[in-house]
Amino acid sequence: MITESYRIKGGNFEHAGSASSSLKERLKKIGVEIKDMRRVMITAYEAEMNVVIHARRGIMRITLNNGQIDIEVTDEGPGINNIDQAMKEGYSTAPAEARELGFGAGMGLPNIKKNSDLFEIESTVGRGTRLRSTIYLKLQVISGSVRNSLHIVSELCSECMRCIHACPTKAIRVRNGRPQILEHLCIDCTACIAVCDTGALGVEGAGDFKEPSEDTFLIIPASFLVQFGVNTGPERVLAALTELGFRNVLITEAWEDALHEAVIKYAQEETKVKPVISPLCPSVVNLIEMRFPSLIGNIAPFLSPIQAAQNECKYMYKCKAKAQDAVFVASCPGQHTGLKLKALSINVRVITPASLFKAVLPLSDEKDKISRQYGPVPRDPQPQGVLHISGIHHVMNVLEKAENGLLNDVHVLELFMCDQGCFGSPLMVEDPFVARHRWLNTQIKYTRSAEAVRRKNAFLARPGLRLDADMSKAIMKLQKIDELIKSLPGKDCGFCGAPTCSSLAEDIVMGRAEREACVYLDVDEDKTK
Amino acid sequence: MKLKELAEKIGARVVQYGKSAGIEIKRVYAGDKMSDLLSEATEETLLVTNLANTQLVRVAELMDVPGICLLNDVVPGPELVRSSIEHGTAIIVSKSGMFETCGCMYQCLYGGGNSGS
Repeated sequence: MITESYRIKGGNFEHAGSASSSLKERLKKIGVEIKDMRRVMITAYEAEMNVVIHARRGIMRITLNNGQIDIEVTDEGPGINNIDQAMKEGYSTAPAEARELGFGAGMGLPNIKKNSDLFEIESTVGRGTRLRSTIYLKLQVISGSVRNSLHIVSELCSECMRCIHACPTKAIRVRNGRPQILEHLCIDCTACIAVCDTGALGVEGAGDFKEPSEDTFLIIPASFLVQFGVNTGPERVLAALTELGFRNVLITEAWEDALHEAVIKYAQEETKVKPVISPLCPSVVNLIEMRFPSLIGNIAPFLSPIQAAQNECKYMYKCKAKAQDAVFVASCPGQHTGLKLKALSINVRVITPASLFKAVLPLSDEKDKISRQYGPVPRDPQPQGVLHISGIHHVMNVLEKAENGLLNDVHVLELFMCDQGCFGSPLMVEDPFVARHRWLNTQIKYTRSAEAVRRKNAFLARPGLRLDADMSKAIMKLQKIDELIKSLPGKDCGFCGAPTCSSLAEDIVMGRAEREACVYLDVDEDKTK
Repeated sequence: MKLKELAEKIGARVVQYGKSAGIEIKRVYAGDKMSDLLSEATEETLLVTNLANTQLVRVAELMDVPGICLLNDVVPGPELVRSSIEHGTAIIVSKSGMFETCGCMYQCLYGGGNSGS
């Protein structure tokens, strides 16, 4: 824990902002993530300027804990008469001198609140004001671009620790009563969301549902259509979406099928290394890029189905000036990230299945109108040589086998992190096996034919597991970790907030945790006394 | 577009480029309210403003802003120039007002027809 305080002089516009400047230098050395740095700077600067503009003098106290910063600014000044009014955007009591310099827009306090995770203010007229802001700081990403879309709502965390054990790449820690993601390790799968009962873990950008315009395209996964029980078939759901105003509904399965065929064709070329891995599931691709880099050459160079769908929307926009905006229902954080990575000229919004569920429900009893019982539909048999595997543990096993060259008899691998592919996303409600069964027993015609799209950029290995960019330093760190592991109990209990003792050892060496976090150490030391 | 190229295209007077001549400008934000500038500033944003005071450079420094474009051919005070040199923030001065300057920059960055993002 680091505590610092800075004095702020009222009315001194010349040196105003210096406390914020020196705070910035400190945070840089710690390596705070850039988005959070911005939030801290806006908060600190606005709070500092409030003292300079309104008060005689003040003090800014900074407390830096693991993963959070508390900024407390107390001043001796006139105080605030009506705090509710002061919190309104555009309300200001700044003097003319400050306004001339561009201050006094009445945005200061609202700006601070907007950028804080926790915010409180109290004031006594004639004496002064005390403002407290807490900002949670993300752990530093070692290198590479940030590629995940998990969303954390800290307040909901009950510290059950299930997520830390569920994460296949050991990317989650629960410390200070809230989950943290080590972004360089996260592969955007859904394992943690699936075990989180409180809703503390979810997908980013859930966003409110907005009225679609005439040209809005809605792109949904097939699994969405089979979430409403036995009497409400996909046709009924599609009709409900039309009632909502979505005239153009596309189902991502069209692109999944297109990719499926394209990959089989691609694998038929003799020269390809077997097995060819289909990039159907973005999370599987992330896993390979991080844990199985030697298999990167096996991934067929196509865009994921949802990215191909996104491309299609862009194309439609270009040639017909239609599809001004597109709403995607992403069934997992991986798809969400895939959509975020591409900048487009059209307005793309990504929503969670849950927000569309709410919009569609209640599905009225007009079931006679369209709903239909499920019945068997003839499907093409799976072509030979294609191995379809779903579920994290099976996927990991198979990749390990493939890496060791034990799967040469398989032509194409179709891997999904979730059980039964996207039907098993924890963002859906129906049981994955039931949902898939129902889908296979219906026949929905795609409204347009889809094509697989070749990637322009190659897949790249992620530096995820690397301890340091400098190899010699990384080796030293590794040695330290090994020594630490010996001193830890090896029970992998998870009480320290890390999933295993070796993860804790790594966290300690990387400065993400203290050795005291281990609950067993005290007991052992007591015994030796 | 690189800051240097943009400055040349809009015919701005260059007080100094600091460390930013070769920085890619992805976004321009114009405003005369400090809070606005603060919350919209990023490391790829050029700020366009009438506020020629030292606090502006402070905001630029805190938010890693590569450069500031002042308006109406104003002559920045020695204090502002000194602190911008210290922090390496680029200062350019447009001959025209905010509206004309922004229009000009828009043409340079997004002009040439199609993409109106």
